[in-house]
Amino acid sequence: MGDNEPQTDGGTATGREGAQTVDYLDEEINLFKPATPFMRDNLKAIFGLFGLWLLFVFGPPVASYVAPEFMFETRVLGGYPLNFFLSAIVTPAAGLVLCAVYAWYRDRLDEKYDITHEAEAESGAATAADGGEQ
Amino acid sequence: MIEPVFLEYTNALDEGFKLVPALTIVGMMLLFLGIGFFFRVAAVDDLWVAGRSIGSIENGMAIGANWMSAASYLGVAALIATAGYYGVGFVVGWTTGYFILLIFMAAQFRRFGKYTAPDFVGDRFYSDRARGIAAFTTLVIALVYAIGQGSGMGLMAEYILGVSYEAGVIVFMAVTVAYVALSGMLGATKNMAIQYVILILAFLIGLYAVGLSQGWSTVLPYIEAGPETAQLIDAFHAEFAEPFAVNSFYMWTALVVSLILGTCGLPHVLVRFYTVDNERTARWSTVWGLFFICLLYWGTATYAVFGGLLYSDPVQDTDTAVTLGEADSFMQMPGADGDALVALTVQLADMPEWLVGLVAAGAVAAALATTAGLFISASSAAAHDIYTNLYKTDATQREQMIVGRTTILLIGVLTAIIALNPPALIGEMVAMSFAIAACVFFPVFFLGLWWENATQEGGIAGMLAGILISFGAIANDTAIPMYTGVEGAVSTELATIVPGLGSALVGVPVVFAVIIVVSLVTENPPEDVKRLVRQCHSPEPMEKLQSAEDAAADDD
Repeated sequence: MGDNEPQTDGGTATGREGAQTVDYLDEEINLFKPATPFMRDNLKAIFGLFGLWLLFVFGPPVASYVAPEFMFETRVLGGYPLNFFLSAIVTPAAGLVLCAVYAWYRDRLDEKYDITHEAEAESGAATAADGGEQ
Repeated sequence: MIEPVFLEYTNALDEGFKLVPALTIVGMMLLFLGIGFFFRVAAVDDLWVAGRSIGSIENGMAIGANWMSAASYLGVAALIATAGYYGVGFVVGWTTGYFILLIFMAAQFRRFGKYTAPDFVGDRFYSDRARGIAAFTTLVIALVYAIGQGSGMGLMAEYILGVSYEAGVIVFMAVTVAYVALSGMLGATKNMAIQYVILILAFLIGLYAVGLSQGWSTVLPYIEAGPETAQLIDAFHAEFAEPFAVNSFYMWTALVVSLILGTCGLPHVLVRFYTVDNERTARWSTVWGLFFICLLYWGTATYAVFGGLLYSDPVQDTDTAVTLGEADSFMQMPGADGDALVALTVQLADMPEWLVGLVAAGAVAAALATTAGLFISASSAAAHDIYTNLYKTDATQREQMIVGRTTILLIGVLTAIIALNPPALIGEMVAMSFAIAACVFFPVFFLGLWWENATQEGGIAGMLAGILISFGAIANDTAIPMYTGVEGAVSTELATIVPGLGSALVGVPVVFAVIIVVSLVTENPPEDVKRLVRQCHSPEPMEKLQSAEDAAADDD
């Protein structure tokens, strides 16, 4: 996340341009080969956050598997065993925070590529207009 | 995997008819119907006029209500209390899956604009046969999911109505079918936000009351139960939180992966993304939805701790906690007591009858509303996707209605019959439907949206492979042992690798491989299908009621 931010600001102008010239319906969709600048930015966030998510979801059980004594004997907040507390309370909370971060990041991306969801009808017409056959 | 056991379905809740709790249920159901009716009369479009932020919070609550079945309300606390850290896996799987749904699928589904699983599969894989397989799977998922709900209703009926478990299942299943008929007539599906508020209040009031009365917690019971957890572990049952004391690390992982991918494959979850006005709202709805879901799920662990302590050491000695049934868990708690634990906790803390009744009524309302939704999706799958699309293309409205209603009746009867002697705990039954959704639907949804070259042959072969794996796993360690008297599982080796609750860990990679290989050797999808997929990922906004199909077509 952190290292995307400077690029987001710096790339605003080219991003806007890109949004007008790219015809999204002509570009192949492939999870590992993003074909448009928008898709590249989006996938960067998706994979970055996905990595963090893996850590939060499977970190506690893996740690409990590797060091069961430590995870069970360590007590937090007055008595929760660490493994229990992490999986039952922290993991769902982390999932929630990651969701919010992604939703927020996508709002920033929308700004960068000059996308607005406010005036649906207008922009819908614009889609049809500039998306025509070359 | 937890060995299937034959449970004596009687629990420790006080029996005998209780007027106030019974009226509470009736009141809740009438309120759901009444509000639904009100919103049908008021112009539906006005719902979203209040502005975008309200749109996503409201839709988030709808996501929460959708999620809150007897499995969340009763089942998860039961599994933590009887299976310890393995049970915590249900909390992880049933919350964090929404993140995967959000980053890979929510907005794309909104853009695709087809809101039932068979519709999506039929259009994306341009095949009526694929649509038929998806409809069949939708029916099976609804049935398996509903069995757990029936079991929860029966247990609560014992307390509220003072009838036997069996009578409770039958009575409430009949009420559900009637509710489906009524809500269909009144358009009572617009009230999910209010439904969420009522259910979460019933759940949390019980939790707060127990915590306050026992001096265990004050404002945030979720993180205040540390000392009680330690007490439960040290004085009674270390297995409650010890890592992998009940099931192995592999089983834990298989379960969690299945629940997460099942979240992304469940037809009735996806429907919620169609009702929002644009994909930005779809994203923020997911965030709010997960928040509302967490309010309940954080509480399940606390309920299990409080309930476990009170079960071992009730407030009043006269409360006999341990009842009939085989106490096969470390907690010395029979399965039926476990599944009733949320309500039982409130009773063992010596709370007044109306309060126990409120918590129990919340459980019934959660089960009933979820079951109603499942039955509606099953009837549309049978009437539109199977009967009309595959069998009789010129079916009249009337014929479709008859097929739909017959389906609801049949599935209601079948659910009741199986729930009379449930093959597994509530949470486990529902987890099986997640495993099916993960193996059959997740791969076709995911590859369908993210790989434009996935072909109809690939989709069909993948779904068939998913059905084979997920159904086979459940037959092996639950269904066949249940009805033939085989001990444990038909093949124990198979059950340890592909458990019925967690078949997706093996199943999903296999199905992905099948879809990819078959797609590579068959002819590429037609250009219009590819454009459909691209339209789902384009950042450019679409008109409110436009689907990807329209947008892609406009463009030509």
